Amino acid sequence: MQDGSVNDLLQASKIQDWDPSAMLNNLSFLGQKIHQLQDLVYLIIGRKGQVLGRPDELLVQQQQLVTADLTSIIVQLISTAGSLLPSVKQTLSAATTSLGQCGEFGGVVFPSSAQGLNDGVQPQNAGGSKVSELPNSVDITSNNGNEQSNHIIEEHELKDEEDAEEGENLLPGTYEILQLEKEEILAPHTHFCTICGKGFKRDANLRMHMRGHGDEYKTPGALAKPTKESSSEPTIIKRYSCPYAGCKRNKDHKKFQPLKTILCVKNHYKRTHCDKSYICSRCNTKKFSVIADLKTHEKHCGKDKWLCSCGTTFSRKDKLFGHITLFQGHTPAIPSDEIKAAPAGTSDGATNKVGSVNFNLSYVSSESEVQSSSMDIKGGIDDAVGYFSPLSFDTCNFGGFHEFPRPPFDDSESSFAFLLSRSCNYSQKSGEE
Amino acid sequence: MLSFQSSKNVLSLTEDLLVRIYELLAAESDRKSFRLVCREFRRIDTLTRRHLRVIRIEFLPILLRKYPRLQSLDLSACPRIDDGVVSLLLTRVGPGSNSPILGHWAWGLKSLVLSRATGLRFSGLEMLARACPCLESVDVSYCCGFGDREAAALSSAVGLRELNMDKCLQLTDVGLAKIAVGCSKLEKLSLKWCMEMTDLGIDLLCKKCVDLKYLDVSYLKVTNESLHSIASLLKLEVLGLMACPLIDDVGLQFIERGCPSLKVIDVSRCEGVSSSGLIFVVRGHRNLLELNAGYCLSELSTALLHQMKNLNHLEVIRIDGARISETSFQVISANCKSLVEIGLSKCLGVTNMGIMRLVSACINLRVLNLTCCHSITDAAISAIAYSCRSLVCLKVESCNMITEKGLCQLGSFCLLLEEIDLTDCCGVNDKGLEYLSRCSELSCLKLGLCTNISNKGLSYIGFNCLKIHELDLYRCTGIGDDGLEALSNGCKKLRKLNLSYCNEVSDRGLGYIGRLEELSDLEMRALHKITGVGLEAVAVGCKRLADLDMKHCEKVGDSGFWALAYYSKNLRQINLSYCGISDMALCMVMGNLSRLQEAKLVHLSNCTVEGVELALRACCVRIKKVKLFAPLRFMLSSEILEILHARGCIIRWD
Repeated sequence: MQDGSVNDLLQASKIQDWDPSAMLNNLSFLGQKIHQLQDLVYLIIGRKGQVLGRPDELLVQQQQLVTADLTSIIVQLISTAGSLLPSVKQTLSAATTSLGQCGEFGGVVFPSSAQGLNDGVQPQNAGGSKVSELPNSVDITSNNGNEQSNHIIEEHELKDEEDAEEGENLLPGTYEILQLEKEEILAPHTHFCTICGKGFKRDANLRMHMRGHGDEYKTPGALAKPTKESSSEPTIIKRYSCPYAGCKRNKDHKKFQPLKTILCVKNHYKRTHCDKSYICSRCNTKKFSVIADLKTHEKHCGKDKWLCSCGTTFSRKDKLFGHITLFQGHTPAIPSDEIKAAPAGTSDGATNKVGSVNFNLSYVSSESEVQSSSMDIKGGIDDAVGYFSPLSFDTCNFGGFHEFPRPPFDDSESSFAFLLSRSCNYSQKSGEE
Repeated sequence: MLSFQSSKNVLSLTEDLLVRIYELLAAESDRKSFRLVCREFRRIDTLTRRHLRVIRIEFLPILLRKYPRLQSLDLSACPRIDDGVVSLLLTRVGPGSNSPILGHWAWGLKSLVLSRATGLRFSGLEMLARACPCLESVDVSYCCGFGDREAAALSSAVGLRELNMDKCLQLTDVGLAKIAVGCSKLEKLSLKWCMEMTDLGIDLLCKKCVDLKYLDVSYLKVTNESLHSIASLLKLEVLGLMACPLIDDVGLQFIERGCPSLKVIDVSRCEGVSSSGLIFVVRGHRNLLELNAGYCLSELSTALLHQMKNLNHLEVIRIDGARISETSFQVISANCKSLVEIGLSKCLGVTNMGIMRLVSACINLRVLNLTCCHSITDAAISAIAYSCRSLVCLKVESCNMITEKGLCQLGSFCLLLEEIDLTDCCGVNDKGLEYLSRCSELSCLKLGLCTNISNKGLSYIGFNCLKIHELDLYRCTGIGDDGLEALSNGCKKLRKLNLSYCNEVSDRGLGYIGRLEELSDLEMRALHKITGVGLEAVAVGCKRLADLDMKHCEKVGDSGFWALAYYSKNLRQINLSYCGISDMALCMVMGNLSRLQEAKLVHLSNCTVEGVELALRACCVRIKKVKLFAPLRFMLSSEILEILHARGCIIRWD
């Protein structure tokens, strides 16, 4: 029955460009609907006063009903406004435009006959739900495997590159240009449940959801992906235009570059013409307008280990080096943790080590006192101590030797020197060459 | 000077004349004699001395105080220098002992050699770089621990023009970027074995230091990308690309179009480079002076040869390991008339005829390397001797067919010959040495494995070649004590001597060796006749001894080692493997020799583990490299191994 009504609607839409009377019809239909809803709410309020002991169950049902109706009204309102779009375009673009496709795309066709009005409170499956059939089918084919399972396909996994078609050179006129309105682009959901009105981004997710409404939605036919009717006919390539005037992606631009899919339109519009409202919680600096971009960024955020002396960080070394090449006087900064590690790990580590061997030798304390007056760097004291042979005699049986304090530049001959009976008369002046 | 009546001797010369005379003295020994004349001369020396190479760090403060006009300081022989020493030198050493003007000596310093200063770290380097405002040249090669922080410290020397960072193993692109940005006047940079370096760093360097004239990136894993960047250096004259495995002909194509000032290029041992790559280089640079393509060509192709015809200014060519035809020699000799050096080591196809053709026109040849060109005979040597009268260096290792006839020609015509390598030329005999000894300029003579020479032949050398400073007698079994006597009487300048496996040499011979006061490098493996007496004579006499290899000298007793420990204060490297040294003597040697940096101590049969442990403890603050018997790894205390490791000492287990 519903399919039939849609077809009827499509038939009806074939006649019109933009029909003020049709618009009027739509608006009055909406007004009627709002009134009906108003009555329903009055009724609920009235009943509430009477029966307090009623089970919550009913209340929930009523609430659901009201929500669904409201959603439906909103969708139709948006669609009505959007109906201006194809009519404008049709006057401009070539006559090749298939009206059927136009209807399919725009989804703005509202029952101009009484039939639609007679539908009454029953939610319509007009407009919105049908709108994005095209991008949907694209998505589903790429996710064929997921479709039968219960996984909800997440939007951000399929972040289309708006520039994907950059290389393609379609001659003007060989393709059809379609343009969505801003509101439509920004609508969070494009598929709505005809029963409860819940919105979905994907048709496949909607079909999964529908199973909860009854066994008739569980048949393979109902769950199957809607087949393309146009498969037999030669398809006309469709490209999209951004509604923002002056944008390069807008069809009025001199060097117009069309967008390939509706997803491209959405991402492009959000990235280029909307506020960047998503802020990375880690760095609190990077902002995004597409949530998928934020998620991509968050994967890499905090890994910017390449730091310039000016404070700018880079995730990649080549980016840092490009930056340094560009800006006079900037140098790469050496991470501060290395500063801490280097003295402890390498040079001072060595002296500490020796120092620890030294500490039980009696001369050390007196020696370092002498030194400390003249040494101003921390490592220096240890190093000066390091000149003295760190022999630990207690482990050996050569006992009896002990070291004498020496100034730091003294030749650090070991204590064995005094064993030689002859005194050293090696020329003290041979220190140079 | 005009007052003849007062005194007519040299002491009446005025100060400025003395300074002029002093400046004309080239040799260090002459300057030493000069300053020992009298107080006045000594004063002239202290006032005018510009360069100082310090051997013993303990004299450094005095020397720096004494020589206030130093421009160049070489501390490469003091590996114990570290941050603390630098701090002390800069804070305490002023012109007068009581008026410490901070680091006065550093103000005029232009050149600083800190090669192998492994104890130094970035804080010390930074102090030095800041204290020396005129610093132009720094050498920190072989400071293996140096990395980015040290490079950052060096980059504060903004006037730096020359920098050698060979084998600073921790250096990465970041450190190089620091230097490239900080020292933009850099003209000479060597980065051999800085293995962490990549194309990014080289690219940045080439963009920031546009005045580079000399760049050595040998052994780096840089790719053709780097060559693309290097090609943009307009002033580059010398480019070293030795053994860069990732560079190939495509990269050399960039060099063809870039580096307009290129004079010298070294692509030896580059696996990816073939003759077509060299054709690019040669085609782009007609004024090339030096082409080093050793071990990267399989053959000197005709196409390359054709291009080389244009290299009329070429002075040096090395094509070691390539196949070369006789006609190639003709082309080279006809076109590259200004050739000074040619390297044909291990080349295939080098014949007498080829050499004759080469030298017929290349009469300016000074260096000729024919190592392992086995088919060379006296005919070729005669042709060389006859044509190249200014020959300075000739290498004919393992050219077995050379006899006294060839040497006769050399001795008759090549009187400027300074270096000749006759290793493994069994045709050389006493008669040949007699002829050769006519080359009185000879300073380096290699006679290893020449078993046909005897004491008689050596005596000719000792009698005539007084300038000799390097002599290799490896396995010359005919040499004995008498030959060494003749040698020690004449060759007083001998610095390096190899006597390994000359079995006849005894204590008496070593006594003669002890007369060579300049000797710094002595190799005497497996001399079975020598004892402690001989070693003592060497230790007492050769005061400059720095490197001693006495592996397998089993009969040397402790008395010799004690003498060594007492007298050889300048010893830097020692090999005592398979010697009969005792625990006590080992401790003495290792503890007392305060300049010792490297020791090989394998298979010491008379030593106990405790003895080795104590010896290591006695030297652990200064030793840099030690080779030990492998099982000791588990017997020595972990404490000493940790100390050695912490001090940066490399232990090799054998």
